[in-house]
Amino acid sequence: MISFESSIIRLKDVSKKYSTDNVVFSGIDLEIEKGEFVFLTGSSGVGKSTMLRIFFCAERPTSGEIWVDGVVLSSLSNAQVPYLRRKIGVIFQDFKLLSNRTIFDNVALSLEVVGLGKKQAEQRVMQVLEGVGLAEKTSHYPLQLSGGEQQRVAIARAVVNRPSIILADEPTGNLDLQRTEEVMMLMEELNARGTTIIFATHDDRLFENTHRRVLRLLNGKIRI
Amino acid sequence: MTFAILCRRAFSDLRQNFCAQFITTMVVSLSILIFAFFTLLYFNLQHCVDRFGAELGLLVFLSEDTPKDRIPSLYQKLTGLSEVEKVTYISSEEAFGRLEKFLKDEKEVLEGVNPQFLPPSFEIRVNRAVFQLKRIKQLAGEIDKWPEVSKVQFGQEWIDRLYVFSGLVRTVVVITGLLLLFTAAFVVTNTIKLTVYARQEEIEIMRLVGATKMFMRGPFLVEAFLQGLLGSSLALGVIFACYRFLQGLEAKSELLRGVNICFIPWQYTVAIIASSVLLCVLGTALAMRRSLRL
Ligand SMILES: Nc1ncnc2c1ncn2[C@@H]1O[C@H](COP(=O)(O)OP(=O)(O)OP(=O)(O)O)[C@@H](O)[C@H]1O
Ligand SMILES: [Mg+2]
Repeated sequence: MISFESSIIRLKDVSKKYSTDNVVFSGIDLEIEKGEFVFLTGSSGVGKSTMLRIFFCAERPTSGEIWVDGVVLSSLSNAQVPYLRRKIGVIFQDFKLLSNRTIFDNVALSLEVVGLGKKQAEQRVMQVLEGVGLAEKTSHYPLQLSGGEQQRVAIARAVVNRPSIILADEPTGNLDLQRTEEVMMLMEELNARGTTIIFATHDDRLFENTHRRVLRLLNGKIRI
Repeated sequence: MTFAILCRRAFSDLRQNFCAQFITTMVVSLSILIFAFFTLLYFNLQHCVDRFGAELGLLVFLSEDTPKDRIPSLYQKLTGLSEVEKVTYISSEEAFGRLEKFLKDEKEVLEGVNPQFLPPSFEIRVNRAVFQLKRIKQLAGEIDKWPEVSKVQFGQEWIDRLYVFSGLVRTVVVITGLLLLFTAAFVVTNTIKLTVYARQEEIEIMRLVGATKMFMRGPFLVEAFLQGLLGSSLALGVIFACYRFLQGLEAKSELLRGVNICFIPWQYTVAIIASSVLLCVLGTALAMRRSLRL
């Protein structure tokens, strides 16, 4: 197993095509440092979500090699995939909440899958839900919440098991300015504690005046 | 993941998807009910044939020149046979008496006839536990070879016909039962498939947040186990109630008395429950295999 001291995600000549005339990107080389906070941007349909999906093995690349936290993804068997995913918190663009479970249970799911009982998880879940301003709605169901509230539940679920990498796919897409600010603060806070964050968005204002690296996807290539 | 957590998850699942789970259990129950009903029918048919055959028994006629003092030892010999349950000696005089009784008003035709003209005989009742046409035939053949015996009679024609008939009915019941079993298996696995597909999204989401296969499968398998167990137990419970009801009728009605309705033997009852559980668990495992692919 090759371990790269500083880069937590590394791509070498990675391509993804769904069919011969549906090439999302090709020949991508990229390194993301441990503890980095990078933005991934580009217009709609350019492949931001696809890129993130490849990082946590929800999608396999057509060709090329990917290392995540020192592990070569192509060598990962299906049985090992869950263990990689536990190190990665994903905020899905479409939230992916369980509609028949309460907000509390949805967030607790991340801890449940690693074998923590609900009782043990309670404190951490409540803490995270307070952090995103949903402490009063723990027993509601996702469909009883607004789009922005659902998005915050998705964020809470992604961060609750303290992953070393967070893949955020448009986590502020449904939020107003103030909530956006709060989410950005939360991300900054997590990043300050050493979490690597890859933040996909098409909202230029979010990184207008930061010193962060911005990866621009355009025509299947990355421009920095 | 501990067993306690697994059970708790399964039960909270059961609560959340109560309706779907209930319907699946009912489908299992109805399928098993139809099958178990046929099994009950089958065993009662078998039971009836055996009992009827056993009541026919054997008739052993002795040759007329058999000395009287040989009778007790022959009696001993017959009762010594393992297949024989009861032996009754009928002397020539007794046989004559029976004939007279049978003829009633017309008994004058026997006037002047020697009451010894009928041969003495033994009536044999065959042990019910060993009753089998083949064994009875064998037994008859053996006894026939004894020097004192002139003829062995048994309702062979009757039994033969009965057996051909019951064999036919049995074949029909077994084929119908097998078809029902296939139908039940098909309906149950497809119902389960549908419930698993209905929860596809849930499985997908668990997968994405890092659940292992066992974590996702566990509650589904526990639920399937319970469905199989409850569904089949319920069905057999209903069958048992029917059986008790028929027994009640039997006790009251002259016509039915002696039919002696029997329940499905316990080994088969256990087998039905076990196969139902197996069917549900395997069906679920198969249905999940598709949705668990990466
Ligand atoms: N399962 C799939 N099968 C075929 N094509 C796909 C599939 N998933 C994505 N694509 C294609 O890949 C391209 C990139 O999609 P992706 O969702 O990554 O875009 P995106 O950059 O996240 O867009 P948005 O900003 O709207 O979320 C799209 O053109 C889409 O048609
Ligand atoms: Mg997207």
